[in-house]
Amino acid sequence: MIKTPRIRLGRLLIYLVLIIGALISVLPFVYMITSALKSYGAILTNQFWPWWPFGDEPLQWQNYAQAINDIGFDHTWGIPLFYRYLLNSLIVTGLTVAGTLLISIMAAYALALMDLPGKNAIFMLFLATLMIPGDLTLVPKVVMVFRLGWYNTYAALVVPWLVSVFGVFLLRQFFMQVPKDLYDAAQIDGAGHIRFMFSIVVPISRPAIITVALLNFIWSWDNFRWPLLVTRDANMRVLAVGMQQFMAGEGGTQVHLMMAFASMVVVPVLIFYFITQRYFTEGIARTGIKG
Amino acid sequence: MQLRTLPRVLVLLLVLALALTACQPTAPKGPDAEGGSEIDAIDLTGKNIEVVLWHNRSQSDQDLLQEMLDEFNASNPYGITARAEIGGASYNDVYNKINAAIQGGTPPNIAVAYQNQAALYRSQDAVIDLTPYINSTKYGLSAEDRADYFQAFLDSDANPQFQGEVLGFPTQRSLEVMYYNQDWLTELGYDAPPTTWEEFEEIACKAAQEDDKAGWALLHEASNFASQVFARGGRILSEDGTRYVFNEQAGQDALAMIQRMAANKCLVEIPVSERYGEQNRFANGDILFVFASSSGMNYYADAVAKAGGFKWAVAPLPQSGELHMNLYGASMSVFKTTPEQQLASWLVIKFLGEKEQTTRWAAKTGYLPVRASAKDDVIAALKANEKWASAADSYAMLFDWANAGMVESPVAGYDGVRALIDTDLISKVINDPNADVKALLDAAVVKADEILKENAPQ
Repeated sequence: MIKTPRIRLGRLLIYLVLIIGALISVLPFVYMITSALKSYGAILTNQFWPWWPFGDEPLQWQNYAQAINDIGFDHTWGIPLFYRYLLNSLIVTGLTVAGTLLISIMAAYALALMDLPGKNAIFMLFLATLMIPGDLTLVPKVVMVFRLGWYNTYAALVVPWLVSVFGVFLLRQFFMQVPKDLYDAAQIDGAGHIRFMFSIVVPISRPAIITVALLNFIWSWDNFRWPLLVTRDANMRVLAVGMQQFMAGEGGTQVHLMMAFASMVVVPVLIFYFITQRYFTEGIARTGIKG
Repeated sequence: MQLRTLPRVLVLLLVLALALTACQPTAPKGPDAEGGSEIDAIDLTGKNIEVVLWHNRSQSDQDLLQEMLDEFNASNPYGITARAEIGGASYNDVYNKINAAIQGGTPPNIAVAYQNQAALYRSQDAVIDLTPYINSTKYGLSAEDRADYFQAFLDSDANPQFQGEVLGFPTQRSLEVMYYNQDWLTELGYDAPPTTWEEFEEIACKAAQEDDKAGWALLHEASNFASQVFARGGRILSEDGTRYVFNEQAGQDALAMIQRMAANKCLVEIPVSERYGEQNRFANGDILFVFASSSGMNYYADAVAKAGGFKWAVAPLPQSGELHMNLYGASMSVFKTTPEQQLASWLVIKFLGEKEQTTRWAAKTGYLPVRASAKDDVIAALKANEKWASAADSYAMLFDWANAGMVESPVAGYDGVRALIDTDLISKVINDPNADVKALLDAAVVKADEILKENAPQ
């Protein structure tokens, strides 16, 4: 009788904190979506809700079409560059995620389940590379791309990102939970490491693998500076680079168009996240990583 | 005349002749004096050279640039093929990419570069001095061309750190101007923008008395400070490029005014993170004065039309004497390759600086053309453009001010000094009304000179 109100109050506080956290998280998205549907004038005059019932401005759906048209036209294919960028983003992200998964799974398997001399030292060295800031290695990586003759190719956009230290780390932690007995049993049935890895370890590690896929999908999709540095023409560029068109020059930013463009760019990420979110949460929880 | 006096007369005549020769104005640098004849000797016929140009403009500007280059490709008699590429979204992006490309051995033939960036490329022996190309009888600028270019623009690329080598060539420029809300100014009882700093401060503080309004938007960056120093008759770097001098009287007065106006709440600080915040607030009618680049004039016109709908105009910053304005705009630098490729690159740049091309570029981007003869065509084009029309009259005034332009600091390492001006000067006086302005400036100049020394050519 006495305890009940205290529990309720405690829960109420937890919910309150969670709701505030959720609102803070969702605020940038709300700003993006609402700005995408406002006129430039409404943005300049800081009108939070210029539509009915507080204002008389109609929803500016045409911002989306204008944003697509304003970033330029692909004269070779006869389509707005937006579609070319979209295709490049899909190709680059698809190849990067597939390649990263393959390499991460194999590396993590070797580090977690194979008897390799000095594998812990190798793993530590591997992890140490996480401590080097990305900005520090950016220029040397670009130099390598130039020297390899990969400038303005898909190889330059994909290959440097095929090894994900974080992915290897996450999967290794997950694979280490696989009982050694399972491998012994598989070996009795005639399976080697490759067969065991793809037939047993990968299926039971689906949450962790999907987590790695999702994180790399987001990183690759959002990558801006790298594609800008290693490509030279619009035919090879991706959506994130296309978005900078609204900020180039020295005059001003058409925020409403930029937000319309941004809201289109995040759609694939959201779709992928909603499809995989169950596994994502499970993957993070079971590897003990706090995201 | 006696024979004895003849030698004395001859000596006197000789001395007089030498003196007269010395007093004559310096002849224009001829091709032989500046290596132009070597350039004249290069024959590009049948070489079919490909030239790549990196810039930081948007896709629509890239389309125009390539369109102009396509015309060059079709019309030049040497079979040169020029291609423009977006190297990055900002000057820094292009700079980083070029540094990587230099190390990778594949820099472009031409790239946009601010004077201090060109100096850094020159330190790596990666860009060339364009003087012999400009002076070449066969391929260079004619006397008419030279007279048509704004002299201040041409002068801006001569680098004192490298004995006056011309490390770039202008194809566009802009000036730091004062945008002001004309309607508001009239309401406050003034019929013209301020011409002195005292008047500027008085009006700005009067405007700031209204709730949620500010008299002046102070952009948190070094160029804003430099513009004020110039307008007060000072310099950022000494003329010979050997030391920083922004701690002199003009710098002290500028910084003291910022400190005073911040303490009296006459200004609003615009952090770098609030991209174009000054423009948005100005358009909304919240700010009376903004110091900003003239290249943004069409954006101001558009923003004011969509938000505030008031009358606005531009003027030079208040002055303390002769007109001096901050001159912006990256030039085109040519990277060291073969003599033929370098010459082909120069011809591409020269083409972009011709009247027709500079007119089209200015009318599209809002930059100033580099030639005085382009004025009427550019103004006509702007007036015919719905987005630009309301800014055309303000833009027209820039032509009268173009030769008053000064470059902040063309030497290597200036980016570090810019950061210093922001953190060690502007941030400090805004937050501390009692900070000793002179002491801050002296300390900053000591640090700036160290940066200058570290980046000096070996």
